[in-house]
Amino acid sequence: MVDTATQKKWDKAAPLFDLMAGAGAEKRWEPFKRALFSKMDGRVLFLALGTGLDIAVFPPGQNITAIDISPKMLEVAVARIDAYPGDLRAEVMDVHEMTFEDDSFDQIFTSCTFCSVPNPIAGLQSLKRVLRPGGDMYMFEHTGSRYYPFKVMMHLMTYATRKIGPDMNRTTVANVRAAGFDVLEVNNLFLDVVKTIHAR
Amino acid sequence: MDHRLYFVLGDLLANTLVGALIGALAELIVSTSWNMNVAMLVLMALGMLIAGILSLLIGALLGAMEVMVPVMLTGMVSGMVVGMWAAMAPLSGTSAALIGAVCGFVSVVGVWIVNNAVRGVTLFESPSEPHG
Repeated sequence: MVDTATQKKWDKAAPLFDLMAGAGAEKRWEPFKRALFSKMDGRVLFLALGTGLDIAVFPPGQNITAIDISPKMLEVAVARIDAYPGDLRAEVMDVHEMTFEDDSFDQIFTSCTFCSVPNPIAGLQSLKRVLRPGGDMYMFEHTGSRYYPFKVMMHLMTYATRKIGPDMNRTTVANVRAAGFDVLEVNNLFLDVVKTIHAR
Repeated sequence: MDHRLYFVLGDLLANTLVGALIGALAELIVSTSWNMNVAMLVLMALGMLIAGILSLLIGALLGAMEVMVPVMLTGMVSGMVVGMWAAMAPLSGTSAALIGAVCGFVSVVGVWIVNNAVRGVTLFESPSEPHG
């Protein structure tokens, strides 16, 4: 059953999402995301597609299945999905309740996803189920920090942002491990807050 | 730090302006009748709170975490320093804004220095090795 509280939260955020997240963050993160997504190969699962801002840096000609919990977000993404020069399909789906068969994908990509998934370890375990054995998971995520005073600031900020958007204090690398993945590489892009993670 | 000029200048400008704003605000709120420690703590919290809200607006132009973290630090430091200073001795609005701007500059440069030490790739030979 879809997590309707999370779905409603992101449906509400959809009309203004590009305005808030589009220009600044995407411009700042564009080279890092482009480098990460250039690794796409084979049957790719991408989550969460949101309004499709990341599609601009997808390498062309890929076979991508994308999911997002918010139908309103995907409505905004339609034009970007249609413009993608490759096979890109988007479905409304909760990561906790994915209907894909086991071992359906060669690779999984996430982009600022596990700051928002309500039960991150369960969500990551679901991803492990649909990823073929030996398949790669590449994540672009923001997390909490281990360093003071940033650690405290991220906790405080989470009180303000949780109701309308993401948590700022997630321990995503530890969650990836707790879900049964082997973490091969962590690349800190800004402090230990914005990072890419490669796991298998 | 991000080496693209747009972000370097944007980060510097955002933090010095937010620092100046919080500094001026601290001078308006705090007088010499305040206890220095109370002024420092109250303005530190208030500065961080206001800066956190401002970072959401600035973020639309300059990014998300890369804006929020230094700007909140700027708010905290600027509020703390100017709040404490204004409790000890009378301070003009211009001086308070200037001190706040310097706090903002120092904060963002501090974040750049820490960032240069923390950022980069960590490879895990043993996949269970702990990491944040």
